[in-house]
Amino acid sequence: MKILVIEDEQALLESILAYFTGEGNICEHASDFAAAYEKISLYSYDCILLDLGLPGGEGLELLTKLKQLKKRDGVLIISARHSLDDKLAGLDLGADDYLVKPFHLSELKARVSAIIRRKNFDGANIIVFNEITVDVSAMKITVKGNQVTLTKKEFDLLVYFLSNRNKVVTKNAMAEHLWGDEMDLSDDFDFIYTHVKNLRKKLLEAGAADYLRSVYGIGYKFGDI
Amino acid sequence: MKLSNRYNKANILTSIVVLIITGIIYYVVIHFILTEKLDRDLAVEENEINQYVNTFHKLPLPASYLDQQISYKTLSGIISEREFLNTIYFNPKERENEPGRSLITVVHLDGKTIEVTITKSRVESEDLIRIILLITLGITVVLLLSLLLINRFVLSRLWRPFYSTLNRMKAFEVTRMDTIEQELTKIDEFNELNKSVNAMAERVRQDYKELKSFTDNASHEMMTPLAVINSKLDSLLQTESFTEQQGALLEDIYHATGRLSRLHQSLLLLAKIENNLIPDFQNIELKEMTEAKSRQFQELLEKDGLVLTEKLVPVEIKMSRYLADILLNNLFSNAVRHNVSGGHIHIQLDQQALTISNSGKASHLQTKIFDRFSKSVDSEGMGLGLAITKQICNLYGFRIDYHEESGEHVFTVYFGG
Repeated sequence: MKILVIEDEQALLESILAYFTGEGNICEHASDFAAAYEKISLYSYDCILLDLGLPGGEGLELLTKLKQLKKRDGVLIISARHSLDDKLAGLDLGADDYLVKPFHLSELKARVSAIIRRKNFDGANIIVFNEITVDVSAMKITVKGNQVTLTKKEFDLLVYFLSNRNKVVTKNAMAEHLWGDEMDLSDDFDFIYTHVKNLRKKLLEAGAADYLRSVYGIGYKFGDI
Repeated sequence: MKLSNRYNKANILTSIVVLIITGIIYYVVIHFILTEKLDRDLAVEENEINQYVNTFHKLPLPASYLDQQISYKTLSGIISEREFLNTIYFNPKERENEPGRSLITVVHLDGKTIEVTITKSRVESEDLIRIILLITLGITVVLLLSLLLINRFVLSRLWRPFYSTLNRMKAFEVTRMDTIEQELTKIDEFNELNKSVNAMAERVRQDYKELKSFTDNASHEMMTPLAVINSKLDSLLQTESFTEQQGALLEDIYHATGRLSRLHQSLLLLAKIENNLIPDFQNIELKEMTEAKSRQFQELLEKDGLVLTEKLVPVEIKMSRYLADILLNNLFSNAVRHNVSGGHIHIQLDQQALTISNSGKASHLQTKIFDRFSKSVDSEGMGLGLAITKQICNLYGFRIDYHEESGEHVFTVYFGG
């Protein structure tokens, strides 16, 4: 995957680049409007992460330029502005998704992966991880050819894990992903444990290896053993 | 009291007092003049009698003609003084008693002293005074009436620009960016008022704009470092060489940043609702939404062993979907959070109201429950949920009510206000 991160906050940019680099991903970055414009006009990306407040110009303008250039790059807006207007304006201008700061890197990764899957596989939308195959649009999972039946939450959780493979994902991030961040949940996310336990059990029964590990009680990691 | 009424009252009172005083002076003066004239006539008559007596050495006939009577009386002893006085006399022509003016004087004839009383009718002068009085009264009434009419019509027309300015001020909303259009009048004071009102509105709007952009900027500036902290925590977690103890520390930091960003978002949301900045207004199927919400909360309910019962009928209300979601979220979270283990929640929805009642510990916040940052000691929340809920209700004219009965906390949202 080729990803362009347009973000003026250096510290945040570094974290995003560190999280996304690896596993065959190529990440480029731009920290101001001019640099970003140059990059999007010269190259094509699978996904562009776009911060709205940029030095030298308004991020939404880049969306318009992208459209003028007739590019099909996926765009995910990351903004500190929790404004419905901005969100609607961004989506109207052709952005694929909108994520409000602060966010979990795992959530960002999951959303970027979803955009890229939609763009690249023209609706096929399939994730393959070793013996596990997930057809996201049809909500079907097979392990070594065996069909696995999961609940909606377990399915979402698996897709989330697969988008963040080999990364530690916090329970907090998982809860917000599954229940939405508006929910104002209590700080006790232990109820997630049930879902994780069931998912793991079903995958093991279908013959998959045990890819899930609990990490320090903070979260879980799904990945190569 | 309206200004015009107040003005009318003063105006009319003064007019009445002035007119009454004028009337009295008028009456006295005219009365005095007319009496003077009668007295002069009586003196002329006396003179004539004297001349007659001097010429013919006898008294003229005691005649009564032209509203004038002369009578004689022979005096013996005391000689009365010459004097004018008001009397009542019998007018034979009219056959009735009439007010009159008499002159009592004496003539000396053949050594005898004879008292002569000359009486003239005062009816005419009385009539004159009456007419003058009536005319004065008439003028008074006409004057008062015209004053009232002028006040009513001219004043109300004069004040019209003032009331239109007042109405525009009442309808003024800081969030709407349209300017108050000027109503042209020829009156300097109102033009000045208009100018000042517009200048003030402009200033308020400017301040509001600045405040809004400040809030936006503050939000942006605060969210960015928060985003950095969050992302750095996520990155730190990937390095994977922590002890169990460090893991616990990390978890605490996660919780704190999570709370901070939720707190910040809640405050921004409150500000937005207060300023009516959430435009998405649509029909909401509240029943479906409530059912979806109870599915969403299922894990939380199961965790605490709560039993949820629902009695819902299809209800459609008009509001923002986003805010409806937050409203339900907050009420649900509240019912779960302030519940006891193994307790229950009952939700009832009908055309009038949405009621959520739950078992729970007794609270002591009754009156302050909808205030910002008011929460029970053991609550994990921020104390903003119900404040937001209340604001949402205010925005759409709903009324939210809370009471506690037999260990149950009952929240009711009345859609009709």
